[in-house]
Amino acid sequence: MQIRKLLRIARWEVTKNAGGVDRRTVAVVVAAIALLALVAPLVAAGGVGVDSGLYRVGVDESSPYYDVVRQDDTFVVTGPDATAYDDGDLELLITGERIRVQPTTKGEAAHDELRSSVQQYNDEQLKLEANQSAAFPVSVALEFRSQTGLGDRLRIDQDGGEATETDGAGGDDGGAAGETDDGAAGEADGGENASRSVDPDTESGGVGGLGGLGGPLGNEGVSGSPSDIDPPFPFESLVLAFVFVIPMNFVIQAYGSTILSERINRRGELLLVSPVSRLDIIGGKTLPYFLGAMAIEGAIAVGLIYTVDGTVGGLVSILAMTPLVLLFLGATFLGAMFARSFKELTFVTVTITVVLTSYAFVPAIFTDVGAIALISPLTIVVRNLQNEGVTLGEFAFSTLPPMLSAIVFFGLGSGLYREEDMFDQRSIRGRVLDALAGPISRPYHVGVMTAVLIPFVFVLELLAVASLFALGEISIVLILVVVAVLEELAKSLHIYAAYEHRTFEARRKVALVLGAISGVGFFLGEKLALLAQLVGLPELAIGEAALQGAVFTGPILVLFLLAPLALHVTTAAISAVGAGRGKRSYILGVGIAILVHLGYNLAVVTAVA
Amino acid sequence: MRDPRSWSRVTIGKRELSALSREKTIVLAILIQLFIAAFSSFLVVGLTSLYDPGAVEEGEIEVGVTGEQQNRLVEAAQTEGVGTVRFQGRADATAAFEDGDIDAVLVATGEQAEQGRVIQVDAIVPSEDLRTTLIVVQVRSVLTELERTERLARSEFLEQPPVAVPSSTDGSPFFGFTYTILLPLLLFLPAFISGSIVVDSITEEIERGTLELLRAAPLSLTDIVDGKAGAMILLAPLQAMLWLGLLRLNGIGINHALPLLVVVTAIATITVVLGIVLALVTARRRQAQLLYSILALLLFGTAALLPEHPASTIALLAVDSTTPGTFAHVAGITVFAVVVLAVVRRYVTGLDPESL
Amino acid sequence: MIEARNLRKEYGDFAAVEDSTFEVTDGEVFGIVGPNGAGKTTTLKMLAGLLEPTSGDATVAGYDASETEMRSHLGFLPEESPLYEEMTPITYLEFFADLYDVPGSLAEERIQETLDELDLEHQDRQLGDMSKGMKRKVAIARSLINDPDVLVYDEPASGLDPLTTNYIIQFTEQLAAEGKTIVFSAHNLFHVESICDRVAIMNEGEIVARGDLAALQSEHGETTYHVYTTVEVPDSVRKNGRWHRVVGTMEAVERTRDAAQGAGGSVADIRTEESSLEEVFLNVAEGHEGEGKSEA
Repeated sequence: MQIRKLLRIARWEVTKNAGGVDRRTVAVVVAAIALLALVAPLVAAGGVGVDSGLYRVGVDESSPYYDVVRQDDTFVVTGPDATAYDDGDLELLITGERIRVQPTTKGEAAHDELRSSVQQYNDEQLKLEANQSAAFPVSVALEFRSQTGLGDRLRIDQDGGEATETDGAGGDDGGAAGETDDGAAGEADGGENASRSVDPDTESGGVGGLGGLGGPLGNEGVSGSPSDIDPPFPFESLVLAFVFVIPMNFVIQAYGSTILSERINRRGELLLVSPVSRLDIIGGKTLPYFLGAMAIEGAIAVGLIYTVDGTVGGLVSILAMTPLVLLFLGATFLGAMFARSFKELTFVTVTITVVLTSYAFVPAIFTDVGAIALISPLTIVVRNLQNEGVTLGEFAFSTLPPMLSAIVFFGLGSGLYREEDMFDQRSIRGRVLDALAGPISRPYHVGVMTAVLIPFVFVLELLAVASLFALGEISIVLILVVVAVLEELAKSLHIYAAYEHRTFEARRKVALVLGAISGVGFFLGEKLALLAQLVGLPELAIGEAALQGAVFTGPILVLFLLAPLALHVTTAAISAVGAGRGKRSYILGVGIAILVHLGYNLAVVTAVA
Repeated sequence: MRDPRSWSRVTIGKRELSALSREKTIVLAILIQLFIAAFSSFLVVGLTSLYDPGAVEEGEIEVGVTGEQQNRLVEAAQTEGVGTVRFQGRADATAAFEDGDIDAVLVATGEQAEQGRVIQVDAIVPSEDLRTTLIVVQVRSVLTELERTERLARSEFLEQPPVAVPSSTDGSPFFGFTYTILLPLLLFLPAFISGSIVVDSITEEIERGTLELLRAAPLSLTDIVDGKAGAMILLAPLQAMLWLGLLRLNGIGINHALPLLVVVTAIATITVVLGIVLALVTARRRQAQLLYSILALLLFGTAALLPEHPASTIALLAVDSTTPGTFAHVAGITVFAVVVLAVVRRYVTGLDPESL
Repeated sequence: MIEARNLRKEYGDFAAVEDSTFEVTDGEVFGIVGPNGAGKTTTLKMLAGLLEPTSGDATVAGYDASETEMRSHLGFLPEESPLYEEMTPITYLEFFADLYDVPGSLAEERIQETLDELDLEHQDRQLGDMSKGMKRKVAIARSLINDPDVLVYDEPASGLDPLTTNYIIQFTEQLAAEGKTIVFSAHNLFHVESICDRVAIMNEGEIVARGDLAALQSEHGETTYHVYTTVEVPDSVRKNGRWHRVVGTMEAVERTRDAAQGAGGSVADIRTEESSLEEVFLNVAEGHEGEGKSEA
């Protein structure tokens, strides 16, 4: 790899229209964005109002509810027409104090809306009262404080790691949670004394409200009347996730196009024959988009921090965004190497957008709550914005898996970046198999490939944990199913691909050996990941549960260390034997392997719990 | 006599559709939409359940209560069905909280305010816990109940008594979301994707040079564009029908299905027209796609300047809260779509194919 | 200058090229001919380092074909000229000059020189708007941008009008005269015949015949003798007052002479005619087909 040549390709990509976007397009884009910025305040001022006029209510003017429904756009207000109500043309019919509700879901929803509307109306009216102690007879000071012990009941966030509690790790878990949040805990302690002296009105923005960016980002105490209390709604995390992720989608649109363009009409062939290595080509073509994306994300991070704190900072945020940006680009690169046509590329890009957005997103929702949020680098960004510290271990935990995944994406994609694979019209399925089979020529490569795929398994499993664990009891089983499916596929898909490419003989003995190698590769890779994780983040019990099924100490350690090894080898061998005999047998083989894996996991979980 | 060219348009349209099914991209497209729908539903159901514990399962929490006004708190908690444990003093309660034996601490004291006594409640809730939201919601309901009874007791001091709050019902908290967010999302997505596919389809023909081949057949550029546009415009209402059907199967009633499909077709026409223009003007996919997504977003944003956003129109139609204005919007969007389609066809007819 | 040793390329079960071995010396023009699908393009791409051989190896200008450095000494012209349509010829050539490390001033000079030599009009037009012939010329200019010692041209004149074809053939001859080593493929034998020193004939992935044109002709071609006699001999036809007989061997010529002398006449003239490369190629291809290869 020659940096000089790489930079040269990058420069051409940007300046001479080799792949970039011409000035006219840039001008239109800028104009469109400016217009959008112009429209946004108008839209915001007009009220987003998607639900305006949703419910129809008939009310007489003398009713106390008349003013209530008049000030809520959700209602269309007409006279108390009983016939219209009977015809189903009104959801609510209010005469005086009497409210009639249509016995439909819509009617009930309208009634709920009326209820919250009334509460809001009352609060506004009461603020005008002369006697404020009668209007607001209860004053609340809310304080968030860490709990150090777990008490005699389990908390929800332990459910996923049920296997962990038995060995006493539960105590550590709670303690560690407090420890990770030293900053916030300290703040809260201070707040205990401070909150009384604070004037209720200035503080009543609430934790969850969106009154300015500074307020809601902090997990600070609040005081005011009971209705001022808002549960910590992760709205700002959502907004942040969107703010960071949306620009990426435009970047990958252009990036995907430039890569696929090279593959159309054999355009890229001449670059391949020039004295430039393919890594230079890929690097050169990627660099402008990477820098562009980083510039945008960096500007957003610095800008946000400046708005919130008034200081210049955000290095941690920028660092944390890097793997996410690379992940977007890497996935798009591989996708553009897979796609046969622009249409296919569009779908590939949309898939990437949706999957990665949810990856960045779901955990960010839990930013304030639970270490699980750390699986997304956006959590680091959010914490950075909240002025909370991030330990090195947390940072590594959060950024390494996406970073490694991005590297694997680029690696698999550049394996396809050659004459033979770039210009043909094979299906996406065929290309996925090509990409997986490409690097495999010797049996031990199978094990290496399995280990290489572990970051994906890791990210996807954690994502599954994050999305499923809110579901309660059933989540453990669901997570175990996801784990079994993911791990068995990761251990066998490339073996199947290699068989499709006739890299190995289809004899049962060979298949068993390949399966064993894959199983060992997975076991070693997993142990490595686990080790790194234990060093960095001992408190992440759920992560352990997902990857391991259980963590053990003491004399049974050896037994339980070997049991997973045996499991991985056995199941991988089952799939490998299937893979050697064609597509149907492979599906059957993997199916059996998944069931065996699931059975093992369930047995371990029930045995330990 | 039948115009033979109309057949060639149909042929082009068919080819577009068969290419989609051959590449199985349409399956992928539907899966993606399903994923988006599932994801946004998950978000809302998840968040709503965090917000409103009653919506998903009964959250059982225990609150430590202390302070001189603790009796009133306990009464309010009983009304709201929240378990309470009494403590001697603040320190005991806090210690129990920190040990994790109780979920929250409420300390109620009387305090002198400017115009009389108020009840001062210090609430301690856990941070860094998924149940925080749930606990805060429960605590709030207890305190709101306390406030309500206190207000009632002091109502003689109020100039205007508060409006009676209607009793709570078991209405679905997802009702509004389903019609105002989920449904418009599901109906807009096919239209947006249709436009995007047209961009791909035209720029690909230009970039690969296959447009020339098509033109070698007795076809005008307009015929080719008609064929591609027709196929993609039709695809959107077909997908929309699928979604409406799925929602109905899930017990979500959809009214005015026909006007809804008209709106979807009209919106798809507008996005497809946008796609055609961008593809022909730029002749490069990269530029065209980038501009398409940004301009489509802009279009969606500026639509908010209408008295009724198309998303609202869809919601109001589906939920049967239509007004004459709603139908006027349906008609307006349709007319607009027809007009832009006509204008663009004129533009394409006048275009020199050699210049592409 | 170029050495290919047992080059073999397999795609799954199918061998596109089977164990090709050949050598091209300094300054030589080497033609690879064969029908479509014979493996010519695959062979050339292996020489250019675009395809990795399944087995065997190739050395070009002293470097292994897989080395990046080799490409600096190579000018490769693919069968279809894939260009970046949105560039003008000048920017396009500048781009590649940059990638080939040609210093700016030298590149400018070379670009202008080559474009002038190639008679390229409309140099400020975008490549996408150019005719096929002009695109081809730009592609050839690109292959010369690094002043390479070795040129590998895949069907340089295919699909062009006769004028441009002729022009490009002449230009290639001129390059050969300048001392470049050139390997090129063609299915149009007419050009090969006019400019090649040596030729290899490929069919179904194998080199089925090779050598200089004379050797190939003597091996696979037929020499026919036109014997003109003053009297009638067996199998002869009367032509312009003489008797004309066509035979395939020298012995037959002698027999004809004996027959003529026996009849009291004599041989007036003997003309030899060697079969063209086209015929050699057809002979070889037919003979090869006759062996009954399994894959088609």
